[in-house]
Amino acid sequence: MSSDHRDQIARLLGPDRPEVTCEECFELLDQYVELELAGADADARLPGMREHLAGCPACDDDHASLRDLVAETM
Amino acid sequence: MSLLASVASHGDRPGRRAPPSAYARGKVRHAAASRRQDLGDDSQAWLRALRASPAVRDPALVELHALLMRGARHELARRRASLAGLSRDEIGDLATQAADDALIAILAKLDTFRGASRFTTWAYKFVLLEAGVKARRRAWQGREIVLDADAWPLLADASPGAHQTVEDQEVLRALRDAVRERLTPHQRDVFVALALNGVPVDVLAERLATTRGALYKTLHDARRKLRAALADAGYGFGPHDDETGGWT
Repeated sequence: MSSDHRDQIARLLGPDRPEVTCEECFELLDQYVELELAGADADARLPGMREHLAGCPACDDDHASLRDLVAETM
Repeated sequence: MSLLASVASHGDRPGRRAPPSAYARGKVRHAAASRRQDLGDDSQAWLRALRASPAVRDPALVELHALLMRGARHELARRRASLAGLSRDEIGDLATQAADDALIAILAKLDTFRGASRFTTWAYKFVLLEAGVKARRRAWQGREIVLDADAWPLLADASPGAHQTVEDQEVLRALRDAVRERLTPHQRDVFVALALNGVPVDVLAERLATTRGALYKTLHDARRKLRAALADAGYGFGPHDDETGGWT
C-alpha cells in the first residue's frame, strides 16, 4: 500500500494506542503545555495525551493555541 | 446586573448581550487601577485575591478578565481566516463573550485548581476553549453538515487512479464496506461528519445537542470497529487493547 494512502487511512482511524478522553485532556492541558515548554518529557508524565491530540482536532487546536499563548507570555 | 456583581454574588450567568456595566462606566476599572495588585504569575496570590472580600476580590476579577480578554483575542486572531466575514466589532463582541463565559467557569471551578501549572496557564485554557468553540460555531453558522459517506471522494471512488495501487483500492473498499456494515447509524453519522468531512466536533455537538466528549467517544468506538474490520480483512491497522477499550 502506498505510504500516502496508509497515512490518510491511519488518520481516519485515529490513534492506535490508548488515549485520554476529551474531558481528561482538558484537565491536563495546562500541565502538559508547561511540561512541554519546560523541555520535560510531557508524554511520559501524562500518557495518552499525545495520542488524543493526534486523534482529536479540536483538542489539538486548543493545545496549540495554549502552547503559543503561554510561550508568548513566559 | 453587571458581570462583576453577578460573579461576586455567585448569581446566574449574566445575559449574553448585557454589557458588564461596571467596566463600561470605568468605575471598577478605576478602582482596580488605584489598588493595582499585579498578581502576575503568583498562583497563590490569585487564589487568595479571588477568595477575599470584595475590596480585594473586585480588582482581582478585573485583572483576571483583562487576562482572559488577551487570551480570547489571541485565539480569535489565530482564526482570522475563518472569521473573515465578521466586523471588528463582532470579533470584539465574541472576545468579550468568551472572556465573560470563561470567567464564570473559572470561578465555578476555582476549588479544582491544584497548582499543577501556573494559575494563569490554567485560566487561559478556559478562555481558549470558549473562544475556539464560539469561533468554530460562528464560522459554520448556516452551513449544511453532510452525513453521506458516499459524498466523500476517497470512500466513494475506489476506481483505479493515477496514484492508487490495487491494494489501495482494496483497502478503501474494505473501509467503505466497514463504515456501512459495521457501524451503527449514529456511529456512521459521527464518523462521516468528523473524520471524513472535517466538521468541527463542537459544531456537530451543537447541532446534535450533545457534547464534544460524547461525540469523541462515539468516534473512538467507531474507529475501533473499523480498525478491527480492516485487521479481519488482513490489512493491518489492528485494534486497541481490548482490556482498556482504547482509553488510558
